[in-house]
Amino acid sequence: MTARARPRLRVGVVKFASCDGCQLTLLDLEDELLALGERFDIVEFPEATSLRSTGPFDVLLVEGAISTPDQAREILELRHQATTLVTIGACATSGGIQALRNWSSEPAFRAAVYPHPEYVDSLAAATPVSEHVKVDAELRGCPISTDQLRELLVSVALGRRPQIRDEAVCLECKRRGTVCVLVASGIPCLGPVTQAGCGALCPAYARGCYGCFGPREQANSPSLARSFAHGGREPIDVASLFAGFTGWAPPFRAVIAEYGGPPGRTPPDAAEAGEAGSAPASTAATAEGGDDAR
Amino acid sequence: MTNGRTAVTAPSLRGTGVPIPRSGPGSGAWFLARANLSVLIDLLHEDGRTVIGPTVRDGTIMYDEIRGIEDLPAGLGDEHRPGHYELQDRGDGRLFGYTVGPAGPKRWTFPPLVPLTVGRRDGRSVTFEPAPVDSPSLAFLGVRACELAALGIQDRVFLGGPYTDDDYRARRRAALLIAVNCSTASSTCFCTSMGTGPEVRSGYDIVLTELDEGFVVRAGSPEGAALVAHLPVRAADAAQIERAAESVDRVATMIGDPVPTEGLHDRLLAQFDSPRWAQIAERCLSCANCTLVCPTCFCSSVVQRSDLDGTTSTSERIWDTCFTAGFARVAGGNFRSRPRDRYRQWLTHKFATWIDQFGTTGCVGCGRCITWCPVGIDVRAELLAIAPPLAVQPETAPLRPAAATTKEFTTGRIRAVRSETADVTTLTVGDVDPAFLAGRFGQFAMLALPSFPPLPISISRYRRDAIDLTIRAAGPATATLVELGPGDEIGLRGPLGEPWPIERAVGHDVVIVTGGIGLAPLRPLIDGVLAQRDRFDAVRLYYGARTADDQLYREELRGWAARGDIDVQLTVDRAGPEWAGPVGVVTHLFDRATWDGSRSLAFVCGPERMMEATAEALADHGLTPDRIFFTLERHMECGIGLCGHCQVGKLFVCRDGPVFSLAQLGDVLGREGI
Repeated sequence: MTARARPRLRVGVVKFASCDGCQLTLLDLEDELLALGERFDIVEFPEATSLRSTGPFDVLLVEGAISTPDQAREILELRHQATTLVTIGACATSGGIQALRNWSSEPAFRAAVYPHPEYVDSLAAATPVSEHVKVDAELRGCPISTDQLRELLVSVALGRRPQIRDEAVCLECKRRGTVCVLVASGIPCLGPVTQAGCGALCPAYARGCYGCFGPREQANSPSLARSFAHGGREPIDVASLFAGFTGWAPPFRAVIAEYGGPPGRTPPDAAEAGEAGSAPASTAATAEGGDDAR
Repeated sequence: MTNGRTAVTAPSLRGTGVPIPRSGPGSGAWFLARANLSVLIDLLHEDGRTVIGPTVRDGTIMYDEIRGIEDLPAGLGDEHRPGHYELQDRGDGRLFGYTVGPAGPKRWTFPPLVPLTVGRRDGRSVTFEPAPVDSPSLAFLGVRACELAALGIQDRVFLGGPYTDDDYRARRRAALLIAVNCSTASSTCFCTSMGTGPEVRSGYDIVLTELDEGFVVRAGSPEGAALVAHLPVRAADAAQIERAAESVDRVATMIGDPVPTEGLHDRLLAQFDSPRWAQIAERCLSCANCTLVCPTCFCSSVVQRSDLDGTTSTSERIWDTCFTAGFARVAGGNFRSRPRDRYRQWLTHKFATWIDQFGTTGCVGCGRCITWCPVGIDVRAELLAIAPPLAVQPETAPLRPAAATTKEFTTGRIRAVRSETADVTTLTVGDVDPAFLAGRFGQFAMLALPSFPPLPISISRYRRDAIDLTIRAAGPATATLVELGPGDEIGLRGPLGEPWPIERAVGHDVVIVTGGIGLAPLRPLIDGVLAQRDRFDAVRLYYGARTADDQLYREELRGWAARGDIDVQLTVDRAGPEWAGPVGVVTHLFDRATWDGSRSLAFVCGPERMMEATAEALADHGLTPDRIFFTLERHMECGIGLCGHCQVGKLFVCRDGPVFSLAQLGDVLGREGI
């Protein structure tokens, strides 16, 4: 059989600023772990094995945002070692929850959080991996979907394009028969501007989508934000809705800026300075590059 | 019997010797007590069917499996607005007192996910095994006319062409349809415009019409007739049959005709380059909610799920939509890359190219795409904006009236006579030429009795099968007309003249200023605005009369004021002891008001001096001359611009008006001796 005739692919799993939840999704593929082992040689995965490798890797799964100077250097080196580099999860693909600090003054934020801020060396902004190196594919979500991870590994093993749909969460709601919480219950929901993949989990439990899979292609977040504001919400509350796990992704970031968010910045008046100083000029271009790679 | 929880046990009438009503398709109307609907549900269960009916879930009334009558939404209604849905307590025990839920039967006839094939690869050989067709035996309860029409449209899509869909065919064959005539309408409904409802006419096995005490039941197929034969029914009496007919008629009147479909196919396809597409795209989320709740949208994609070594893969068909980026993508690019392209594809397909492909429009007027759009885009308003109806385009010919020459008259029969004031009477005239029922707001009729000169009379209301004519007894001819009674015939030509351009007011504030009998030609406009209230912003009505006794339609004025969504302000010239409201000219009602007229369209009718003063007052509020409309009164005899009586400057009032914008009239309005 042609597929088995190929050598096992060397897989690495690494992480930066993140919670480890996404890489554990790999272990959640319980029923298929043995089959995975036949196709993939997992040479680096500190959460699962004490065997270590610095590369090279056929496939490198990268979790986490780039938040420190060390991480910024390390991702450059890892990129050289990886044939296919796949970012996994909201942190790696958009900066994650920790990117909420990007709107604040970094020294002030550090001083507010740590008793000895002088021991901490961090960048002015927590940014997605795609702002530092070329990314070949992205898996979105907080955490990522087991189905999409499986699809990605299958497609790498078979040498085909992964079938990861860039549609809105709304399609998943409708397919599973979930009634629109936005229209029927007035619950603010980011589903219309968020990429599918979670199976529309939150609306199925009568919650609005909070956008953890990040903006879908051509997300019309300004229109959705206007409808939230039209519903009588204060601007800062509109900003809060978008300032979640993927708030630093450009389509959401623009809305947050327009509505004066996010709340709770340090110091509160640092908004303009932080906005101008921490948004790298290359952001938009790299995000588009990421889209092309998918 | 499938469960013991039903309120009324189901007698099995098969072979019991109980007299069975003679029932066959179209053979009659039967009456079924409300509680005995449980018998029907039990019969369906006994027949091995899963019953899909309306039930309350997630704050909506939606189709789902029901076990008995207690699962139905007793006493509940639904309120729909663009981007908004809400359940309402009706305060009665009706089981079908709502309109349409978030999804139709499509979920079962064209499911969101259907397995297609299992492909296998063994060495060098490959095999493809089709998935078995799964078609559970279903009965749908509560299906509306628009939903039946949607099934008919999907039948054409999946079964009407050279290639057909086996899965769909099997599911349709296995489904029994118990339809219900709508007894209420939502503000988003427009089945009347699409010709699909509200009355159920075909494609059903049984149709129910709900009355306060139960249902009028008719069978529409041999299978339906067989079921009816086993129900505890009796022949419906004449009063019940009449109330059932009235009930659905009332719904049609409530809906009106919000989407003029005349020539829509060509009008829409002429607008590929409309700037409106880009404007819609600023609001449109391209989230696809509209297409996914649409009962006729049929687009799908095939997805693969393969094992790790690629030897086995399952392919499945899933619901997809022309609003996703991937839908028109090919290697190297995307044919409909922008959301505006996708909206245009959807709208032009639904209302135009669908007709070319399948011989029917793709829209049934259920209004789901309006209700369930998260940002409340109203397809009716978009159609009017992108492809305005011919009738509001002055360069195109108006709709042809009945009896279009001065030699001809059609007849109508007076149904009711109502005294409005001491000298004003409203005739309700039925048995009229259909052209009258398709008339537009602000048009008039030439009304004739032999030996009297024909008179131009405004049409003051459009009913489902009749029109109202409100007449002031000002001379011998009108005095004779208002003496007529029910059953008397009159001669009619029309409807004539240019109507109020209500479509232009969609999305704007509406200001109506009128005096005395001038309310009559504006009443259809008010009916139209209120029937589709959500499509307009603020609505203001200012009405002046000589005294309170001279006000027309007094009960309706109170009813409109009580709605709360239209600002009704009244004034009189002379207050009597009963009058506690303002006194003075009508413009005093708003000349100090603070509203901004730049977002308004105004519709004015009254004595010409009053209209002239109103024009000035409206201009002070920021209304430009092209947004202020009047209807003029002149001596008219032919009604079609041939006799010359009614000329005002270059205009024939009967043919070019009677509705004119201030921009059209210029300074002839109110000018003496014109």
